[in-house]
Amino acid sequence: MATYDGVFDALGLRTWCDASSNDGPMSMADLMAETGSDDASAASLRDLPFPSLDALHEACGAIPQTRDLTLGLEQGFLAIRDGLRIVIDPLTQPLSWMLSDMIWMMTSTPWWIVIPVLLLLSFLVARSWKVVGFVAATLGLLAFIDHYEPAMETLAIIFVCAFICVLFGVPIGIAMSRSDRMQRIGIPILDMLQTLPPFVYLIPLIFLFSVTEPKLYGIAIILYAIVPVIRLTDLGIRLVDQSVVEAADAFGMTSRQKLFGVQIPLALPNIMAGVNQTIMMSLAMVVIASLVSAPGLGVLVLRGIRNLELGVGLVAGFGIVMIAILLDRVTKAALARVDASQSSR
Amino acid sequence: MTNQVKVSIRHLYKIFGDDPATAMEAVRQGTSKADLLENQNHVLGLRDINVDIRETEITVIMGLSGSGKSTLIRHFNRLIEPTAGEVCLDGENILEWDEARLRQMRRETMSMVFQKFALLPHRTVLDNAGLALATRGRKRKEYEAEAERWLERVGLGGLGGQFPHQLSGGMQQRVGIARALTSNAPIMLMDEAFSALDPLIRTDMQDLLIELQAELRKTIVFITHDLDEALKLADHLVILNDGAVVQQGEPQHILLNPADAYIADFVADINRARVLRARSVMRTDPVDGEIAGEIDHNDNLESVIEKAEGALSPRFRVMRDGKPVGTLLMSDIMRALVPRKTDHAA
Repeated sequence: MATYDGVFDALGLRTWCDASSNDGPMSMADLMAETGSDDASAASLRDLPFPSLDALHEACGAIPQTRDLTLGLEQGFLAIRDGLRIVIDPLTQPLSWMLSDMIWMMTSTPWWIVIPVLLLLSFLVARSWKVVGFVAATLGLLAFIDHYEPAMETLAIIFVCAFICVLFGVPIGIAMSRSDRMQRIGIPILDMLQTLPPFVYLIPLIFLFSVTEPKLYGIAIILYAIVPVIRLTDLGIRLVDQSVVEAADAFGMTSRQKLFGVQIPLALPNIMAGVNQTIMMSLAMVVIASLVSAPGLGVLVLRGIRNLELGVGLVAGFGIVMIAILLDRVTKAALARVDASQSSR
Repeated sequence: MTNQVKVSIRHLYKIFGDDPATAMEAVRQGTSKADLLENQNHVLGLRDINVDIRETEITVIMGLSGSGKSTLIRHFNRLIEPTAGEVCLDGENILEWDEARLRQMRRETMSMVFQKFALLPHRTVLDNAGLALATRGRKRKEYEAEAERWLERVGLGGLGGQFPHQLSGGMQQRVGIARALTSNAPIMLMDEAFSALDPLIRTDMQDLLIELQAELRKTIVFITHDLDEALKLADHLVILNDGAVVQQGEPQHILLNPADAYIADFVADINRARVLRARSVMRTDPVDGEIAGEIDHNDNLESVIEKAEGALSPRFRVMRDGKPVGTLLMSDIMRALVPRKTDHAA
């Protein structure tokens, strides 16, 4: 007899319980309980189980088991999957194209074009020869140990994802800074995106798209990495010196002039810090995304784990660190440049 | 002496809180500021303010911190919305204006100078000075000459290419003034414009303002907590305490006839000999006796005492534009130098 039998009897629900009782397939726990010695009838208060779904199910068949809950969730998701796909698939298709084209472009162009272009790019962003020298040394080293191609794949994915994060994150952040209600709605979503374990992003995506599609990992990376740029854009604009904003009002600026002439320029250091964080987080996610066919250095790390190839995994991991430092230095130098022009605050 | 009224504030109330309308009812029925805060958790910021700002005059609004003076000046260009009352510009109630009209007024009719300068840190001094014109949609080339001219006028010629943080506080506020002047607005609102500056630089800036005003004849509303500054600049002085006007009028008049104990206390520590002028103390009815010399009606008492070499008997003829307008007796000077004690009983 189950512990909670008495409760249902007392409530007069016994007939309801038995009528709609449907014993699903026997669970492992049931089997264990049945095979175990059956002398546990000396019910003491000590062994009182928590009235969980499973415990109540034992007493009353009409109550679902916990595994029905997870099963229901899964079936519900599968039921809406096709509808969801019709909407999301075309919307996200450009992401797939962007990712595969970018990877193709960066890996099939000869190295003696790609590396100088990357160096030029880092100079344009950072305006510092020291940083350019560091980038050259890092890329040279990675190429020297024959990790050039995976490194380029990783960089290509990060470029595309970070670009899309900024493209969507900055306007969302601006919208949140301008309306308290938007902020109240946005912050819990951002909190959830930030605290959800990275692997969890992958689960529904695997069901939605085929594993061979680049957008699968693209979406996972973007969802994970977009949070800081939104947060810091919102914060940055809210932190703009109110007396300067007031002056803009007093001289009759429209809200558009105020946004582009005062608020965004003054929030730029914070927005840039957000971009830096976003790039760092996409790099973290790109490794995990190799589980779902994202190419790049993450694949080598995964191989190291799967095949216990210690050296391969360590060298690829080291390569990721190098790329992380490289991206961080370049964006930090850009941040410092923006900061220097408004050091009055 | 009496100029046209440019801006007029009528029965202005400002209540801070969640439900100002209800609180306003209570205030109209005579609830005091303390009771309002206690019972309804609303702050009575301004209470029944009536002030006329006259054209080409400097109106100084003075009060200690928390008296509501910064709140009041922000009603002139509607940076703060009043709870009740009217703000009339050339006879039109600006509270009835829509956004576009208000914006145009802020661009063309009123400019503002701020206590914390509030320059745009990412733009050059020249761009800051030309802000008002740039906001109106003028191209850089068009406002450059105008901005340069005003920067020159406030003593910052050739610094247009610098960024604000490269300048000292006094220089930054000169940019702030140049910015207000470049907009070419007839009304200038100055919110504690010199309070953040060192005393010496502050004196410099006051002199600059007086000099500019002699030439430009703007209508200026100046906020300060410094009585010396107020007396130096004011044509019309408004003293604010606890969100209400305690006394307003000609500064000399306020000094000689404080309305209540609060004002009397306030003006007690002032160097009266330097502030009071011959015209406020002189007698206009004919006085018999020997005249020791002539003085200008705007001479301060200090210079008259100096002229008398400390003697108590001489009389002076007070002259204005070359004509005698009255007589000044040394005994009257002595009486004026002592703050009136009788009002303390009130």
